[in-house]
Amino acid sequence: MTASLLVQSAVIGLSIGSIYILMALGLTLMFGMMHIINFAHGAVYMLGAYVIYYVFFQSGAPYFVSFVVAMVLLGVFGYLVERSIYRPVKGGIEPTLVALLALTTFLQAAGYPVFGQLDKHVPPVFEGTKNVLGVMVSVERLVIIPIAAALVVGLYLFINKTKMGAAMRAIEQDKEAAALQGVNVHVVNGLAFAIGFALAAASGALMAPIFKLDPMMGEQPLLKAFIIIILGGLGSIPGAIVGGLMLGLIDSIVATALGAEPAFLLSFVFIILVLLFKPTGLFGYAQ
Amino acid sequence: MLDVKDLRVRYGAVEAVKGVSFSVSAGSIVSLIGANGAGKTTSLRALTGLVRPSSGEVRFETASLLGRAPHEIVGLGIAHVPEGRRLFPKMTVLENLKMGAYRARRQKDIASTLGMIYEHFPILKERGRQVAGSLSGGEQQMLAIARALMSRPKLLLLDEPSMGLSPIMTAEIGKIIRQINDRDVSIILVEQNAMLALTLAQYGYVLETGSLVMQGNAQELLRDEGVKKAYLGI
Ligand SMILES: Nc1ncnc2c1ncn2[C@@H]1O[C@H](COP(=O)(O)OP(=O)(O)OP(=O)(O)O)[C@@H](O)[C@H]1O
Ligand SMILES: [Mg+2]
Repeated sequence: MTASLLVQSAVIGLSIGSIYILMALGLTLMFGMMHIINFAHGAVYMLGAYVIYYVFFQSGAPYFVSFVVAMVLLGVFGYLVERSIYRPVKGGIEPTLVALLALTTFLQAAGYPVFGQLDKHVPPVFEGTKNVLGVMVSVERLVIIPIAAALVVGLYLFINKTKMGAAMRAIEQDKEAAALQGVNVHVVNGLAFAIGFALAAASGALMAPIFKLDPMMGEQPLLKAFIIIILGGLGSIPGAIVGGLMLGLIDSIVATALGAEPAFLLSFVFIILVLLFKPTGLFGYAQ
Repeated sequence: MLDVKDLRVRYGAVEAVKGVSFSVSAGSIVSLIGANGAGKTTSLRALTGLVRPSSGEVRFETASLLGRAPHEIVGLGIAHVPEGRRLFPKMTVLENLKMGAYRARRQKDIASTLGMIYEHFPILKERGRQVAGSLSGGEQQMLAIARALMSRPKLLLLDEPSMGLSPIMTAEIGKIIRQINDRDVSIILVEQNAMLALTLAQYGYVLETGSLVMQGNAQELLRDEGVKKAYLGI
């Protein structure tokens, strides 16, 4: 592998890693607060991409506007899912997971009649290439990195500097104690759903101009996000960030050097090794 | 100010509280004592909406509390220091205190309450930046009480504040409970340490396996032969 190929695949890895991180952050946030795995995350990613197809490509709205529309629409959808599925479904974690799985299946199945049987394509938004350390990298891939970084920083500030963020951290540490301080746990959980969905929509919206669109397109990033939050430690936000970067880089660099299948295999070997030495994941701790 | 009538709570097939009635008059300290599993914690949890009673009536001032969520009940002026303290262990002492004032709207009010808290608990000011999980047991109990006071409650529910504390620390907590009551905060004190509870309280209720078996003036309960044998170990 030449140095320039290495730089190129590292940049691509950072950009794929950014997408993984945006997916994993919502999953880990929701897990930390509610102990649920949101299976619908992949379907939300897919819907985010389709919003770009319809609002940007079909209706001709500016890309940035369409991106915000995707995040807001699916954020509201997330809040409604808390209200109409998470909150009313009683009886513990299992019924909730089944309900979320049903929602996922429904969204994917509905995708075919609604969006059509054929794959959709969104034309490039940011054309051309840019010189990074002497290597040409596509701008389309490159812009993902600062946009994702801005969203990560925004989330970090929200969680650590605002009152609502403090309520989220309180719920994560002790839901009942949070309620006793006056936190309306339902509303704050709804907010976590909204944030998680909006970030998944953002990832889908960023990938729309790069990959083809079909209703099952969210499954692969969802699988990656699962791996990342297990690698980083369930419920850990720094874990999701570090895990996402690692997986993105492994995926891209190893795939460039050895091919896609060895990369897939190696990422699993890597995770198994980490979990052998630290079963709670890189940043996790025993509950 | 608080009236509980015929409160019943069940966990599945087991009835943990079987028709308990008690009341708290404004400005007083009332104590609930009883052995393990008597239903003391469950009774408090029913008052603040953490468990739903199967029947009964709970009135606080003019409001009925049944069916209300915990966050609404804090808003009415009842703060609950739960069994086991239940601090936010990864948050700092100051962040825990600020969570206690979650429903306060004005920054000025929070600052003045905080000032009052620091007068009573100077150690918490010193430890402000330390995470709550790293405090000693006694300091954690002080923080749990202080966090509850941050909501400026009219009624404070304390569930076994002496649990796990040394005799010296227990006496210290007793002093703090008196000081809080002197500031016109009514208190329900749940304790296995009946001696502590009955010396602090004006009135006491004795629970046994979910039912009220005795009640009376705290001083009289302290002299009662049955109470002495069963709860004071003398
Ligand atoms: N979450 C629960 N699920 C099922 N049963 C419970 C639950 N919590 C308490 N119980 C049962 O209800 C009864 C009353 O328990 P509770 O905790 O109210 O007693 P307590 O008087 O506070 O005891 P302790 O002094 O040990 O704290 C006990 O028999 C207990 O086993
Ligand atoms: Mg108890």
